[in-house]
Amino acid sequence: MVAETGAVLDMPLLRVERASRVYRMGDVEVAALSGADLAIRRGEFLVILGPSGSGKTTLLNVIGGMDRPTSGRVWYGDMELSAMGAVAQTAYRRDSVGFIFQFYNLVPTLTAYENVQVATELVSSPLDPSEALRLVGLADRAGHFPSQLSGGEQQRVAIARALAKRPELLLADEPTGALDLQTARGVLGLLQELNRSQGLTSVLITHNPAIAGIAKRTVRMVSGRIAEIRENKHVIAAKDVTW
Amino acid sequence: MRALHRKLGRELLGSAGVLLTVIAIIAVGTGCFIGLGSAVRILTLSQQSYYDDYRFADFWISVKKAPLTVVERLRQMDGVAVIEPRIVFDVILDVPDEPQPLTGRLLSTPAERYDQVLNGLCLVRGAAFSDDRDEEVILSEAFAVAHGLNPGDRIGLILNRKRESFIIAGTAISPEYVYMVRGEGDLVPDPKHFGILYVKEHYARDVLDFRDACNQIVGRMTPGADIDVETLLKRMERELDPYGVLATTPRERQASHRFLSDEIAGGRVSSTMIPAIFLSIAALALNVLMSRFAERQRTIIGTLKALGYSDRAVLGHFVGFGVVVGVVGGIAGGGIGIAMAAGMVEMYKGFFQFPTFVYELYPDLLLIGLLISIVFAVAGTAKGVWVVLRLQPAEAMRQKPPERGGASFLERLPWLWRRLGFRTHIALRALVRNRVRTLTGVLSTSLAAGMLLISFVMVDSIWYLVEFQFDRITHSDMDVGMRDESSIDAVWEAQSLPGVDYVEPLLGLPCDLRNGRHTRRLAITGLSPEHRLMTPMRTDFVPIDIPPEGIVMARKLAEILAVDAGDALELVPVRGRREPVRVHVASIVDSFLGLDCYADIGYLSRIVGESAAVNSLQVQVDPVERAALFRAIKNLPNAQGLSVRSDVKANIEGTFVSSMTATFGVIILFAGVIAFGSILNNALVEIGDRIRDISTFRVLGYRPWQVAAIFLRQTLVTYVLGIILAAPISYGLIRLMVQAYDTELFRMPAIITLRSVIVSALLSLLFVLLAQAVVYWQIRKLNWLEGIQVKE
Ligand SMILES: Nc1ncnc2c1ncn2[C@@H]1O[C@H](COP(=O)(O)OP(=O)(O)OP(=O)(O)O)[C@@H](O)[C@H]1O
Ligand SMILES: [Mg+2]
Repeated sequence: MVAETGAVLDMPLLRVERASRVYRMGDVEVAALSGADLAIRRGEFLVILGPSGSGKTTLLNVIGGMDRPTSGRVWYGDMELSAMGAVAQTAYRRDSVGFIFQFYNLVPTLTAYENVQVATELVSSPLDPSEALRLVGLADRAGHFPSQLSGGEQQRVAIARALAKRPELLLADEPTGALDLQTARGVLGLLQELNRSQGLTSVLITHNPAIAGIAKRTVRMVSGRIAEIRENKHVIAAKDVTW
Repeated sequence: MRALHRKLGRELLGSAGVLLTVIAIIAVGTGCFIGLGSAVRILTLSQQSYYDDYRFADFWISVKKAPLTVVERLRQMDGVAVIEPRIVFDVILDVPDEPQPLTGRLLSTPAERYDQVLNGLCLVRGAAFSDDRDEEVILSEAFAVAHGLNPGDRIGLILNRKRESFIIAGTAISPEYVYMVRGEGDLVPDPKHFGILYVKEHYARDVLDFRDACNQIVGRMTPGADIDVETLLKRMERELDPYGVLATTPRERQASHRFLSDEIAGGRVSSTMIPAIFLSIAALALNVLMSRFAERQRTIIGTLKALGYSDRAVLGHFVGFGVVVGVVGGIAGGGIGIAMAAGMVEMYKGFFQFPTFVYELYPDLLLIGLLISIVFAVAGTAKGVWVVLRLQPAEAMRQKPPERGGASFLERLPWLWRRLGFRTHIALRALVRNRVRTLTGVLSTSLAAGMLLISFVMVDSIWYLVEFQFDRITHSDMDVGMRDESSIDAVWEAQSLPGVDYVEPLLGLPCDLRNGRHTRRLAITGLSPEHRLMTPMRTDFVPIDIPPEGIVMARKLAEILAVDAGDALELVPVRGRREPVRVHVASIVDSFLGLDCYADIGYLSRIVGESAAVNSLQVQVDPVERAALFRAIKNLPNAQGLSVRSDVKANIEGTFVSSMTATFGVIILFAGVIAFGSILNNALVEIGDRIRDISTFRVLGYRPWQVAAIFLRQTLVTYVLGIILAAPISYGLIRLMVQAYDTELFRMPAIITLRSVIVSALLSLLFVLLAQAVVYWQIRKLNWLEGIQVKE
């Protein structure tokens, strides 16, 4: 019995098989992704590391239903993302994925609360926006506009927005890229904590090797390929990250 | 979607200024649609109900004198529903306290059923005929008002060499004279100098010597009769032939009906054309605005899509801007439209006389106007947003790829390019980069300039025609109309009247000209050999030579009759001996009046069979003795009308001036809205795009006007291109106008003066510079400390 349950748990939530993404610009072809293979387990915290231009964002977009691979296949459970139409893609993004971006991408004309609301109004059983803001420690800033918040606070609103939908998969593209070390530690800690306490499958992109240590598994990308997958012996706490 | 609604609301308020420019253009477009549309409906409905209630006739036949028995025969004809004989008689009027003799038209009407006959009377003031006396008239209301005449007052006229004095029983209007002109020759009503006197039928019969006879027959056709009015009139004409048919007029050619119907038809065209132009420009301007707006919200669009918003939902959100703009523009347009309709009804009241104007609000028009406004606004918005929206979310999140083809062709001329200075470079590059935006600005400027120019040309052309007619062709001080063809002796008699310096006879001979199957009824003007009070002119100001034998005709008429100079034609006089005569065409000339046809008066008289006939006297007057002459004409037995050239001209000019000033004001205002709105919209969008550049310039120490100068350059280039484009656009429109007015009756000269061109260009420049003033003010108040931190 135990073994069987283990097998179900071990079945990857996401499978990427020989996925390529080629951009055509006039006569020039740029392969942002060329034959990437990857499996992500349910409840995992995965860091994708790689130099600028190595295809990290492209991979994340393909996983998140924001883009389709030119060739190869991508599976989410038993749904094939690579074969989905636009409507199904939208539904997948809406119901399963939470996104966090490097530049937060908050709507400047909406308050923190309303920015979270933009997400919660989409789904059937979301968190209450106030609850989501409380989770990221911003309960008292609900009525503030993005321009009245610091970068770290804005990123925490963005995290609240992603969380509030209760996604199964959290995708973060350089969430600390624009933050100083101290603030970054807070944000990373929050993500680490969410993964630990709620079992939220999380994928985090960074080109900063210092951050890689906070995940159990690190994927290193080089020119559109998965160059190396490493298991970390010692997972470090976000508050100990330094660069 | 409450959060997105809130976003929409705040962003709408945030960009209220720039949205207002578009809203103004939409409001004008919708306003024109509703205003002109209502005006057309008001006129149409007023016309219809008037015609129905007072039985407007389908046809008129003027005869010399026909017995009532023949009218009975006409009544039996297929397709005839009603037929009524009546007597029409033009007379000289003598109004108390009015030195000048005026032209009056006596119209016989049954004393009892005056409101139930064809072209029934609608009493305005006073009462109907009484039984007390026969010398009673119902006077046309406009004439009564122009002379301050009231029921109970007296009015005198000369009838059969006898002065008669009438009591005014009441005043009335009639569907026959909604537009009160004597006939097609008159351009505008002249209520001061022309009045209609409705007299009791039996009285008219007795006094005018029409016992058991009539000289006009009016009728109505059976609805749905399978005979058309022209055929019916042909048949009646044959029946009436022995009695001298002077004219047959189907409703379509009836002067009042024609002016009114032309006004309605013109209104119909304008009520679709003008709104279409304005709303298209508004849609373009909104497209410019919203594509930039969407571009700036690229990442937000990407984020919304990443969150799981569908394309439809995101599009719906942005289209909300269009809907709000459309609704606000539509509602404002409704207000403009209602005001405009009211203004037009006021203007129409000066021209057209209806018992009541069916003036009401048309909710369906308001609604359609609102819908059209929303449709155009939404279309402009959706088009602008669509480019960003159809991107994959991943794509939308990325920076926009740099525009290609930013280099203008001027950059390939380095020697010129280098001279232009960097601010001109910025301006030119921006113009080349944002082609749709530039095009919208250019198009709006050219439409504004074109609109202005066409109005000027229109006015100048009408003015030109009036001056041509009154200063070049006619030189007499007054024309006295004579009853029937009087003998040439009338000239000698007139010569001896007080104050008369010189008299010249004129014969208007109504006749049919026939060339095989081509035929046309018209009046040939007979001039004396030494004519100098009337010198017919070609369009190039060369006086037309009147040959001693044969006729001269306008090119249009020659085309209708398919004749060339030297060809022979058959001429059948309408009155007198109605025997066909062969005449030859001496020459063909270009004339503004399409049916112009001249001959020597002696030659024409011989055709009619009289030694020398006259039906109009042209008189040159010694101004000192005007009063004496007026008195004498009032007593002139054969006179049936008088027109004083300066009065006629002043009336035409006055009418045009009063109707044109209002119209002009509106056109200038609308042209201003389109040019100012569109240029300002462009500039504000541009400022939004370039806040960081502007701030950087300010940090570097540039003064606001120096920064604004970049925008000024951009605007001026747009303006110049617009003016250049205005040339072909206006040319095309003027050609259309000339063609539209190239009727049988008259040809419109297209008078394009340098002054019109310059004034149109300067006015458009003024609008554009006003927009520029707002731009300067915007740049001055821009917070550049914040602007410097905007990330791109
Ligand atoms: N829309 C596109 N059109 C053309 N090329 C693209 C496009 N998107 C990505 N690329 C190219 O694909 C490659 C991978 O891009 P991607 O954004 O995935 O890199 P990345 O690893 O996320 O880099 P960074 O760390 O700088 O964000 C790059 O060379 C990029 O220039
Ligand atoms: Mg990236």
